[in-house]
Parts: sequence; structure tokens; C-alpha cells
Amino acid sequence: MGQKMELACIIDDDKIYVNLVRKIIEIKKLSENLLIFKNGLEALDYFKIILTNMTEEKLPDIIFLDLNMPVMDGWEFLGEFIKIKNQFDKKITLYVVSSSIDPRDLERAKSFNLVTDYLIKPIELKKFEKIFDRVANVA
Amino acid sequence: MLNDLQLNNILEDFDIAYWKINLLTKEISWSDHFEALVGTPPTEESLFEHFMTNVLHKDYRYDYRVAFENLTLGSENLNQEIRLKLKNDKFRWFECRNLKRKDSNNIETAVLLFVNIHQSKRDQYTIEENFFYYRETAEMTTTGGWYIDITTKSIYWDDVTKKILDCPKDFNPDYDKRLQFYASEHQEQANSIFEKCEKYGIPFKTELKMVTLYGREFWVQATGKPVYNEEQQIIGIRGVLQNIDENKSNELNLQNSLDIIAAQNSRLFNFAHVVSHNLRSHSSNLSLVVQLLNEAKNSQDKIDLIENVEDISVNLDAAISRLNDMVSHQTLLKKERTLVSFKQSLDIVISSASSLINRESAKIIAEFKALKEISYIPEYLESILLNLITNAIRYKQPGRVPVIFIQTYSVNDQNFMEISDNGIGIDLDQYGDKMFGMYKTFHSNPDAKGIGLFITKNQVETMGGSISVTSTVNIGTTFKIKF
Repeated sequence: MGQKMELACIIDDDKIYVNLVRKIIEIKKLSENLLIFKNGLEALDYFKIILTNMTEEKLPDIIFLDLNMPVMDGWEFLGEFIKIKNQFDKKITLYVVSSSIDPRDLERAKSFNLVTDYLIKPIELKKFEKIFDRVANVA
Repeated sequence: MLNDLQLNNILEDFDIAYWKINLLTKEISWSDHFEALVGTPPTEESLFEHFMTNVLHKDYRYDYRVAFENLTLGSENLNQEIRLKLKNDKFRWFECRNLKRKDSNNIETAVLLFVNIHQSKRDQYTIEENFFYYRETAEMTTTGGWYIDITTKSIYWDDVTKKILDCPKDFNPDYDKRLQFYASEHQEQANSIFEKCEKYGIPFKTELKMVTLYGREFWVQATGKPVYNEEQQIIGIRGVLQNIDENKSNELNLQNSLDIIAAQNSRLFNFAHVVSHNLRSHSSNLSLVVQLLNEAKNSQDKIDLIENVEDISVNLDAAISRLNDMVSHQTLLKKERTLVSFKQSLDIVISSASSLINRESAKIIAEFKALKEISYIPEYLESILLNLITNAIRYKQPGRVPVIFIQTYSVNDQNFMEISDNGIGIDLDQYGDKMFGMYKTFHSNPDAKGIGLFITKNQVETMGGSISVTSTVNIGTTFKIKF
């Protein structure tokens, strides 16, 4: 185990899932802090505010993005996020996390450069640990 | 004057044989050529009876005997087409007639000529047979022939063409009005292909919509080719037209069915995808809980996790009941259309949604005067109304009393229903194409299940209609259903 991550971010409308991931992060001490948004728009608004304030303190090291969400879904978020991502100096690792096993979703997610990987729910605890470990040590 | 021998030679050259009949003694003698054709007769039998039984085809025996007797009685001329059996046992056609007597005094001898007409008779049969096949084929495939004489500017149609175009048999098409037999949207095309054929000799084969004398439109396959004179100038256009209306409408129906099947298939695919996704999201949560349970260090942690199991169970149950809803909506398909009154359907919907309507003090105004009823599945109409009305109330502008205006009308025999509200509206540029998708919710409204509009669209389309939406944010939304 190396360094502990500063800030992780979950964008997902499934409260139970978010709750469980929060527990995992707590138990395994994977990240100091956790940002939670229940749809793409809330997350996007947050990133835009950071941009206008010219501060990068609160940028997450890692984002877990769900696909099916109300108001603004994961695809729309990716489309918007790609436009502002380069204005951040910090490297942000983004994982798409979905329970969809539709190969078209997988294909589409991988077509985005900023998507590190497509994770199918449920994610195993060990996989979580590995991902956090890798990102924290690279960062 | 020719002597008998010379005459014989000439007759033989033309393949003409003859009998000489002594009208007084009824004695018959055959010309050499006749004997050469049918063979030498036996001496013991009378020539006539031998001819009747062995030479003449049995179909002609009765008529021939009568005609022959009439001839020998001097009362009538003989002129018959008969078949004779030749030496080689083959039957051949002959025309048999007597030589007309110019001198009425000389009535002792009659001459019967036998002219071989086999070839022309066979040609005639072939022509008749071909004509028969042509007629039958034309009738069977409803294919008519036509000819346009460019030099005289006149049109000729055969009977089948006239029949195809509902014209009487004595109808004479007018060259100047020839385009009236084409559907207005195809007149230009028809004119251009005829012109190209007339000017440049370009043949054509195309599908066109024509109009009968009585204005009935139908599809034909038309082919045409130029006709040249000896100087290689185009003097006319000749062609056929075939009624393919049945094929064409079958083709269109088939295309229609294909579209429906494709749409259903895509809905089914979407459905399967949604089912899998929704069930998976709960099962994956369950699996996470199990993993955490295994990691949990004390009993309090475990109890906390069990609460999650309860939540998952409730959600899973809700998801399954929603899927059941959808399936039961699909099975309504088997029901039959009946005449449904909009007012009655609306009353049913209002009473079943009365608690929501009363809670929000929603006002529903209905205007069904222009179109009071429609042939539809009652459950569908009610479901469509219920979905759109509850949607309108659910997405009301906060602080504004929800007003829903429902109107039915018909334009050019096409029936419509519009449902407008004064709600929060929706940004169609952003969400327009997803509006009717499954599990798409656009507002952070906890009631939103994202399935109502999907079902509504499904029902409208199943009944062969379509639904569209216009909306302005903060002003309201209008759904327009084309039945």
C-alpha cells in the first residue's frame, strides 16, 4: 500500500450504491475525502465553479462516473467535461462505472480518451483497492 | 384452248386434284393426281364409298355426303374444307369445291376440285393459337397494348388497355388529353419519357401512377419503344402497360410491416437492455453488500449493512413491478378497436387521478366538439390521457396552478389530439430526442420513473399513429398525437 488518495468523486444517482462505496472507502481508507453528485449536471456545475475561482484545491484525483442518470447522464457529462478538462493542470483519472453490459456502451465509453476504463458493476473490493492504489501512487 | 393433258399438268403443278362426276350415271372418276395423293382405290368397291370410309376424315363424312348429294342433284354448289388421309396415312387439309358451270345447258358433268390448303390452314392455326396465348396472357397479367402514331398525333389502345383504364370498348383516346390518364404528380415524368422516346428513340420501362377514366388511381408498369419507318425516322411509340397496383400495394404494405417490425424489434432490444440493466444494478448492490459483510469487523457494522439489503429488496421489487406494468401494457395489443368517446375516457382518467388532481387543484379543460370519438382501444386512450395528464401535473411550474388544455380535431380526415400544459417545460434542444426513451428523466423529481412517455409513445405507435412534442422552458409543453 502506498499513498492515500486526497479526493475521490462519485457521480451516480443510485443512493444505495453510493452509500456502499462510501463504506468501502472508509473501511479500506482509500481516500481522505469523497465528493458525491447525483447527476452529471451537479458535477459539471461544481467543476465550472472551480474554474472560475481559479483554484485547483478541490479537484478530485479520480472520478467514478455512472451512465444512466436523470437530468444529465454520463454521456452528456463526458461531452461537457471534455471541453473544460484541459483547463485543469491536475491529472484526473476517470472511470465509467455502469451496470450496463451492452457492448455498444463499452465501445462508446472507450472511444473517449479521458476514460481510463469501463467498469461493470458490481466492482469487487480488491479491484477498488487496486484502482485507488495505482492512481494514488501515480499522482 | 388447253387440252386435258395441259390442264392436268397445270393443276398438278398447283397441287390441285379433281374428280369428274357424271351427273346422269353418278359415275365418278379421279384425276391421276388425286390417285397419286390418296393411293390407288380397290376395283371391287365404289369409288365414292371407298373415299368416304378410307380417305375422308370421319368428322366430315356426314356433311360431305349431304353436300355431295345436293351437288349431284344439281341444286347446290359444294364448298367445304375437309381433311383427307393421304397415301402415307397422314391427314392433310383440302379445300373441296365444284367448278362453277358457266353453261347451264351442259349439266352432264360436274368437276370437284381438291386444293391443298394444309400450309395456310396450319399457319392460320398457329396464328390463332398465338393470338389465344397473347390474349390469355394479357388478360391474366392485365397487360394492355398501345401505340402512339406521331405523324398523325393519334393514340390506339387495345381492349385490355381500355379495360385497365375503365374506358368503354368504343372509347377513342384523345392525343391532346393523353396526360389526363396519369396521376398529377406523375404527369411530368410521363411527359418526359414519351418525349425522350419520340425525339431520341430512348425506350423506357418504368413504374407510374395512372388514373382511370373515373379518377381511380393505380400503379402500372409501362414500357415503350420507338417505331421507325424505312428511312429510320421515328414515326411512333409502341408499348405495353401492366396493372401492378396489387403488387405495388403489397410492396408498400410489406415495407410498412417491415418498418413496424423494425420498430418493435428496436423497442424489444431497448426493453431487454433496460431489464438487464435494472436488474443488474440491484444485484450488483447486493453483491457489494455481501462483500462488505465479509469485511465487517463488528456486529453494528453488519446491522447497518442489513438495512441496505432491505432498501435493495424494496427497489428490486419496484423495478420488477414496473417491468410487469410494461409487459401488461404490451399484451393489451390483442384487444380490439371500438368507438371510444373522448369525454368518457377523460372522465375515467380524471376520477382515477382525482387525488393528484385535487391535491394540486389542477384545472383540466377539454374541447372535444370537433372530434367526439375515435376508433381505438379504450384502455390505450385512457392510459395515454392518464400519462400525459399526470406528467403535466407532476412537472408543474412551482407556485402556478396547473392548467391542462385538451383538444381533439381532424384535418383532411386525419384525427389529432393536443394536450397542453402551463408547466415547467423542457429544453427540447437538449433532451428532445430522448424525451420518449425508457428510463429517461430530466428533472430531479423523485417521482420520476422515466417510463410514462415511453409507454405512451409505444401505445400511440402500436395503433399506427405518432406523437410529437413542443415545449418552452417555464411556459409549458404541448403533446400532439396524430391518430
